Amino acid sequence: MLLTLLRKELLLEFRQRYAISGIVLYVFSMVFVVYAASIKVQPQVWNILFWLIVLFASINAVVKSFVQESGNRQLYYYQLADPAMLLLAKIIYNTLLLLVLSLLAFGTYSVVAGNPVKDIPLFALILLLGSLGFSIAFTFIASIAAKANNSATLMAILSFPVIMPILLTLVRLSAIALRLIQDTSYKRDILNLLAIDAILITLTFVLFPFVWRD
Amino acid sequence: MWWKILSVFLIVYTLIAGTLVPLKPGITYVQPASAPAGKVLTLQLHGYNSFYTKSPESEIRTWLQFDEQHAIQGERIRVLNDTTLEAQFSIPSALPNSSSSVMLNAIIDHPNDGVSLLPSAVEIAQDTFSSAAAWKADVIQGLHVIKDFSYPYRNVIYESIRNTYFHVPMWFVLMFLFIASAWNSVQFLRYSNPSQAAKLDASKGQSLIDFDRKASAYAEAGLLFGILGLVTGMLWAHYAWGAAWSNDIKQLMTAVALLIYLAYFILRRSFDEPEKGARLAAVYNIFAFASLVPLLYIVPRMFASLHPGATGNPAFGSEDLDNTMRMVFYPAIIGWTLMGFWLAQLRFRYQRILDRATGLD
Repeated sequence: MLLTLLRKELLLEFRQRYAISGIVLYVFSMVFVVYAASIKVQPQVWNILFWLIVLFASINAVVKSFVQESGNRQLYYYQLADPAMLLLAKIIYNTLLLLVLSLLAFGTYSVVAGNPVKDIPLFALILLLGSLGFSIAFTFIASIAAKANNSATLMAILSFPVIMPILLTLVRLSAIALRLIQDTSYKRDILNLLAIDAILITLTFVLFPFVWRD
Repeated sequence: MWWKILSVFLIVYTLIAGTLVPLKPGITYVQPASAPAGKVLTLQLHGYNSFYTKSPESEIRTWLQFDEQHAIQGERIRVLNDTTLEAQFSIPSALPNSSSSVMLNAIIDHPNDGVSLLPSAVEIAQDTFSSAAAWKADVIQGLHVIKDFSYPYRNVIYESIRNTYFHVPMWFVLMFLFIASAWNSVQFLRYSNPSQAAKLDASKGQSLIDFDRKASAYAEAGLLFGILGLVTGMLWAHYAWGAAWSNDIKQLMTAVALLIYLAYFILRRSFDEPEKGARLAAVYNIFAFASLVPLLYIVPRMFASLHPGATGNPAFGSEDLDNTMRMVFYPAIIGWTLMGFWLAQLRFRYQRILDRATGLD
């Protein structure tokens, strides 16, 4: 069931290639805007700008999760599949999408602004954790925002405060990967991040039944 | 009814006791602030809230202290006025450790005022290190500990210590109100199920939409206390940290936390059908509350902070409160909390009346 739903998401994305192309172009544009605005990027600034690029690209990538399909079609899906499964498929799919996007951002950003990352395996882990956290929070907020008319604005104002703990932990962890700060106990931060993710995903499943019904 | 009277009583008590009870005597500064080793130092100590003339000069004692074991006692103490005291210290030529200078704490023991201490009051510079023996002679003992109703004198914060009864309780109230708000959102979702909705007792005035109104009213009151907490904190920071806003991690996270609830109000009003808005806002309220906890209690622990306790533990340390302060601090928390719930209740009733008058109920 889950695999079928995942395939559906992938197929949908593949058939509407302009959407994913748009997001990729968005990442490229942001990288170049950032680079054009600050030619010499210090590691400290690199870290923060990188996560800002990923944050905005992620919001734009996830916001369409629920609005791209009409309400009637959504209703049809809910008849066919368990709504929780539908949400889980979207979260997994968005995690993969965001991981690809952040790797892409990392690649282009490294080419134009240099790569100050010292601990690549840790950084890769951070990107994965970041994609997971962003995906859980944004997918759920997107499902709420999609119910309103001004969903793009709502998406931003609802998700920014909620994502803050995850974002700050990620910035701190990646500062460790860049060797900007020395901290041997960063495993605790990773655990914190996983704990926040666990709480959010649990709540997502408890609360989603109240969101999709109209 | 009784708790509203209690709330007013406790807040009036907090305001009166918080502003009128004096600080314990303290030392603001000493002159000169630095001296060479091996000479006789004539030191002027300037007191705060002190009454030096109330006891005979022979009973006043004073020390320059290096640590628990090393101190020198002052001689020929002269009281110039209530807040100025002069004493002579024969500083030994050798310092108790081998660094080129040491900071000494000034201590005054006064039979009437009690003990007062100024950390790192005088800097003594030396050329050579020989021994610490000369410093062991004067043992600090038999101090007068005065137990009266007054707040501790702390350098840097001085009189602003009173803000403890206004700034700190705001965060307690904020958390209680946001918990109440989230709880009402949970109740709303629980009873929005038609089979559960039948259990609501209309004769007791229970209705589904009331849970939404309550959640919103508690969030509004919580937001007000959050803003008050930020403002009292900025006032305090202006005097203690030198700037009202210094991007302290707790200041930032609190501002972000308040954004959550502003977003909640916008979401609640973004729908044409009130029921749909209430349902989705309730969902968001619970979801946002789950990230409020890491925002206020986990993230600040990962970054350096100017707040007491600083890195590792930004909580309010128990050593920051003495018994006199406890007698005001705990009633203040209870008083402000009751006031917060009273405010929320009024907001809720006002909204219900307004909705009935406009035919939305």
